[in-house]
Amino acid sequence: MSEEVGYTVASDSDTTREETSPEIAIGIDIGTCQCSLAVWNGSQVDLIRNTRNQKLMKSYVTFRNESPSPVGGVSNQLSHEYEMLSGASIFNMKRLIGRLDTDPIVSQASKTLPFLIQTLGVGVKPFIAALVNNMWRSTTPEEVVAIYLVEMKALAEARLKRPVRDVVLTVPAAFSRLQLTRIARSCAMAGLHVLRLMPEPAAVALLYAQQQLPKNMGDSGSERVGLIFNMGAGYCDVAIIATAGGVSQMKALAGSSIGGEDLLQNMMHWLVPEMDSLFSGRGLDEIKSMGILRVATQDAIHKLSFQPTVEIDIDLGNGTKICRVVNVEEFEEINKGVFEKCGSLIQQCLHDSKVANVDYIDDVILVGGCTNIPKLKNIVTGICNKSEVYSGINPMEAAVRGAALEGALASGVNDSFGSLDLLTIQVNAHRLGIRADGNGFVPIIDRNTTLPARREMVFTTAHENQTEALIVVYEEGDDEKLLLLGYFKVVGIPAAPRGVPEISVCMDIDASNMLRVMAGVVMPGSGTRNPVVPLMEVRMPTADDGHGLCAEALSRSFGSTLDLVTLHNKL
Amino acid sequence: MGEEDRTPLSSFIRKTLAQSLSLQLLEETTSQLQNQPHFSTACSFNTNEPPRVFKTPKTNFTRNSGFSSLGSVEEISSCCWNCKTRRPFLICESCGSVQPVDHSVDYFRIFGLDRRFDIEDGSLEGMYKNWQKKLHPDLVHTKSKEEREYAAEQSARVIDAYTTLRKPLSRAIYLMRLEGVEVDEEQTVSEPELLGEIMEIREAVDEATDSQALNKIQSQMEEKLRHWCNSFANAFGSKSFDEALKSIQRMTYYHRVNEEIVKKL
Ligand SMILES: [Zn+2]
Repeated sequence: MSEEVGYTVASDSDTTREETSPEIAIGIDIGTCQCSLAVWNGSQVDLIRNTRNQKLMKSYVTFRNESPSPVGGVSNQLSHEYEMLSGASIFNMKRLIGRLDTDPIVSQASKTLPFLIQTLGVGVKPFIAALVNNMWRSTTPEEVVAIYLVEMKALAEARLKRPVRDVVLTVPAAFSRLQLTRIARSCAMAGLHVLRLMPEPAAVALLYAQQQLPKNMGDSGSERVGLIFNMGAGYCDVAIIATAGGVSQMKALAGSSIGGEDLLQNMMHWLVPEMDSLFSGRGLDEIKSMGILRVATQDAIHKLSFQPTVEIDIDLGNGTKICRVVNVEEFEEINKGVFEKCGSLIQQCLHDSKVANVDYIDDVILVGGCTNIPKLKNIVTGICNKSEVYSGINPMEAAVRGAALEGALASGVNDSFGSLDLLTIQVNAHRLGIRADGNGFVPIIDRNTTLPARREMVFTTAHENQTEALIVVYEEGDDEKLLLLGYFKVVGIPAAPRGVPEISVCMDIDASNMLRVMAGVVMPGSGTRNPVVPLMEVRMPTADDGHGLCAEALSRSFGSTLDLVTLHNKL
Repeated sequence: MGEEDRTPLSSFIRKTLAQSLSLQLLEETTSQLQNQPHFSTACSFNTNEPPRVFKTPKTNFTRNSGFSSLGSVEEISSCCWNCKTRRPFLICESCGSVQPVDHSVDYFRIFGLDRRFDIEDGSLEGMYKNWQKKLHPDLVHTKSKEEREYAAEQSARVIDAYTTLRKPLSRAIYLMRLEGVEVDEEQTVSEPELLGEIMEIREAVDEATDSQALNKIQSQMEEKLRHWCNSFANAFGSKSFDEALKSIQRMTYYHRVNEEIVKKL
């Protein structure tokens, strides 16, 4: 596919750049709906504007027949929003990247987005295609993101008048490791070198730390506790941070794949309950109708943030006309589930942070496009028992500004005024562990463990004379769903009664968030505590596309023959 | 108790991998190393592949195998590797170079505290953040590769020190280790009196149907925790280690009940 579209594919391992004087890495915030770019200019962060003088650019890529092939929202000027909904444009990729066709988010998207997403429901990548000259042309979320990144790179290079290679990208806290791998792949395809994939709340925390810097040097300032609530079109993040003297320590981080897109879909289904079957054919007329419905609904939701009622009056063709008035109460009732989920995410994060009670929270920091919805603002301020939100941060720019600060830090830039004297100490958003104790998930690194982190646990064999053990590594995602990251076998375990060999499994996340899983075998009573076979060290994830299929295949092939059980007794 | 304390560290991990672990409380007990003639080869959750955050540099292993007397520890820590200034700490005060980890510096010293159980609220945070600003892997990009590795190790150790000292139970266990007393967290309860109490509380937690009932048990547990923290502090202060161990066992238990309640709430 790389020949078809005009981007370079750089090697993943091309990371040797030690001695050259560092360029300042730029910050990129790729949103489900909008994107932005920013860079440290030597004294502060600048947002980079496109030729239309926009700081926020729509995230989509339009596929066309003629050359230069696809164009994205960075450089393309839409004459009307419907143009983006003609079937030729692919968008919402941040929500779909790194997901399988068994993921409810993908099947939901396949029914409501005006391009082709085919799901077979077997645990592989969905098939995605754009309509070009009445023909479906296949692509992938990674490719679409890469094409978009190529445009962003070109824009940044034109504005900064220098080559751009190093980037810091913000990602949702809910992103799985498989999604991180995919987005990193997109960057590599676009010829970008990722210094950091930074959770959006971590970027916001860095910006907050800068704003809280004491005015006079030497004064370390008192600690301020902030709650960051970030909700855009595709994801929602919550973080609790404690900031003093330029350092933000994350106390807890939680994320979920809910966002403005859910509000939109719920609302569309409410307006046209039969829409799934109505649009299932994906003919030209259906795509047009989907576009009309989407634009009108989006517009209505937007207006409901500022006015009590809104009128929707559209003609979807085929005799389907919609003409009705929606009020705020109805909108909130339709989306009750989404709002409840946001509330419980905040509660969970507060609980995990071990902040004794909400009175310890000094600032409520709202970020992302959805936070101008009054209901959401009320939920957050209500839970935190605050009458106002922190006003020092622009909700639409906070993440990219934080990314640009991290870009400067990661490039080794020093600021003589001390305004880069900053650090965010991050925590791990997802539990990581292995399959053991029957078909159970045994966590090794817990949620909210300070990074970098290394934890280990000891297991033993489940069967008599078991000489091999299968280490199957999982990450726990939304709603405790388990995602297979990879697997490997430990071999050469000396024959022994079950429960005797000690199999240590160690997980290590380094500062750049790379996960390694290590395993070793020790025989107690053998007079030596040395491992009996060479240790294994495996970078995760190893499973990639089709990891859903893979999990099933593993259990089919091996059953419980290579099982492990935890080796410790609790009181 | 935090996640790190729940993780059962096998004796294998403790002994053979002591130097390479992010959380292991045994690193100071050099006698452990003495019994490990093959330490440098057995210490193997390390790769040669940079950059490794918790990697103890290869050179360090050779030093470690010669770690068998306190004398050699002194030798390592006596001079800054860069400017040769005497007695550098985590960072050399005169040239600012990050030093290799010196395991004779205990967690309390990192925070400028005495080896005592009672520490004031908020006495860790400021120092913790100051250290991280000097040591965190995100902030040492301009330093040499070797110094970056020292920083990664030191930063990880400061995180461990912070998480260990912040919570009363792990702080108590750590203090005991510094005194050479092992605490077996998985030890089963043998005292009939405590056993009976445990059964009772278990039942109460199981039978509690609403959050009100659970909250009530929780505040009882917190009260008991406070009580046993105090008795630990007293016992430890007067070096009655048996009494101190008894307190730790109870703290461990009430803490677990608390965790179970939190899960149910
Ligand atoms: Zn020095």
